[in-house]
Amino acid sequence: MDPIRRSLLGQLARLSAGAAMVPLSSVASAGINQQPPRREGDPRKRYGMLIDLRQCIGCQACTVSCHIENAAPLGSFRTTVSQYEVAHQETGEVATFMLPRLCNHCENPACVPVCPVEATYQRQDGIVVVDSDRCVGCAYCVNACPYDARFINERTQTADKCTFCAHRLEAGLLPACVESCVGGARSIGDMRDPDSQISRMIAEHRDELMVLQPEKNTLPQVFYLGMDERFVTRPDAEPVALDVLDSHGKEMGYEFGH
Amino acid sequence: MNSAIELLAPRYDIAWYPWAVQYFFMIALSYASLWLAAPALVFGKSSWLPTARLALLACLTTTLVAPVALLADLHQPLRFWHFYAYANGHSWMSVGSLILPLYVVGVIVLAWLAWRPALQANRQAPGLKGLLARWLSLGEAPTPRALVVLVGLATLALSTGIMLYTGAEVAIVKARPLWHTVWLPPMFVATGAIAASGLILVLNRVSGLCDASVVGQILRVMLGACLAAGLVAGSWFLDGINAHVGSVAAAMESVRDSAEWRSTAIWGGLTGLVLFGAVLFLLTRPAARRPALFAWAWLLGLAALHVGWMFRWVVLMDVQTVARHSAGFHHYGIPAGSSGILGIVGTFGLWLAAILLVDLFVPWRQASQGGSAADASPAAPEHPDVEGALRHG
Repeated sequence: MDPIRRSLLGQLARLSAGAAMVPLSSVASAGINQQPPRREGDPRKRYGMLIDLRQCIGCQACTVSCHIENAAPLGSFRTTVSQYEVAHQETGEVATFMLPRLCNHCENPACVPVCPVEATYQRQDGIVVVDSDRCVGCAYCVNACPYDARFINERTQTADKCTFCAHRLEAGLLPACVESCVGGARSIGDMRDPDSQISRMIAEHRDELMVLQPEKNTLPQVFYLGMDERFVTRPDAEPVALDVLDSHGKEMGYEFGH
Repeated sequence: MNSAIELLAPRYDIAWYPWAVQYFFMIALSYASLWLAAPALVFGKSSWLPTARLALLACLTTTLVAPVALLADLHQPLRFWHFYAYANGHSWMSVGSLILPLYVVGVIVLAWLAWRPALQANRQAPGLKGLLARWLSLGEAPTPRALVVLVGLATLALSTGIMLYTGAEVAIVKARPLWHTVWLPPMFVATGAIAASGLILVLNRVSGLCDASVVGQILRVMLGACLAAGLVAGSWFLDGINAHVGSVAAAMESVRDSAEWRSTAIWGGLTGLVLFGAVLFLLTRPAARRPALFAWAWLLGLAALHVGWMFRWVVLMDVQTVARHSAGFHHYGIPAGSSGILGIVGTFGLWLAAILLVDLFVPWRQASQGGSAADASPAAPEHPDVEGALRHG
């Protein structure tokens, strides 16, 4: 579009009722939708995770062990590894890109302030959890999370998500996904402790680390090393073929059937 | 990077079900029809009284049904009391849960005050109707006009809270760029006004009132609402193509290559334009031809209801199928059960039942801005029997 037309259209947009909407948006951003105070957990700690993508082979051991540890219903995942087939732009050479996904336990989580009953909250150690006895299952948090990290657990009918295996951390164990990772790609630890492995790795690779969808201003605390920046936001890729049928007309790509 | 193929990603279900569409539709009809009842019932403009009577029927019935749909969208409906035991002032949904019951009570009290003189006039009616009239009218003292105005003003104020919270609740969700825009709340209100105008045109026809002054007033409201909706949609679009607002640009980018979304946009735009054109056509006819043409305005009413409902379906359901961090779109087929078709049909069925019950037992056609039984003539002569009224309507 030529610049004159563009600026004319821009003027039109500004002239329209836009000005009237300004007070409305400032009301929406003040007070309401701010983070409620954190509660529980050790205030001296701040858990975070670093995933070294160079070590991930896409074996899904994390997906399976998380599923078993946390008894998520079939078809719902607290963590999973997305896989992409990527062709080199010049040579056409094909490679696979693996992207483990889980709750980012954001510093500014979009899911927490929206909860109408404060059933989901952030602990003082940064872990975002859900009180499933209080949750009313409104699914507002599921919609508010940009990372699809939450789902409604069909068994409990409440919101469910990764907790960094808080129950295991409290018992001095590693989260199931970290413990089962065959390549040692996932590291978890207290980022307030300068001697922890994660603090040392963050210090060492500070400039190379990336987080997912930084433009959402959620300040994710799961850091990726060896990340391709084209995958930081929603990837521009052919979608997964979930509806491929076999010769009997049954779905091949998806076996849990909804 | 279109040379990439997503090999493995979970299928993400939608989190808000069609119940949410039903709630947003009903509550929008509710607050918009309240404002159409206000000129006569609150501000005393008697020329708007026939419109106000129809609008009050629409407002009360939708106000009663909307919270049912809202409750049904919770996965744990019996825990609704948690909203009050653990209210979180940081959440728009929580703010809404405090406004909504006050608003519902306001509408019920307003309707009761407006219908009370007519109920009092019906105290001697035979059978169940008289019994209910005696029971509901709570004595024979006249209804002070000032009280109707006061309750009306308070309910109007609460209704703006409903408009604000239903819009803001969705518009603050950054995770879905198609929602995250200041244009969404005014668009909900504008399409709500279109749909409520349509509902009153339809009620004007099926109730047998067929009042041409109602049609004239409502068509003018609809014209204004169509203009407002067009202005809002146009501004959103200009914001997006000029990339003034990152979220709107991201929203348009997320559906740019989808044939379904393109046809949805074209359908929505065309329906709005046709509706606007038809309303303008009817309003600009010579006075002599108007009665014949206005008799068909209820067809525009159906189209307007379609616009209001489809906008909410597209915004609340279709947007949830746009993948957020994986590629493409998620498949959503409406299930047959209570979280799908049955829920949609059930809500409308409940609403129809509410309208019929009010029509059977309450002389809503004689609603007034307070007064005493003497001001309202008994319902019988004007309204011989309900079935007949519905049949010849």
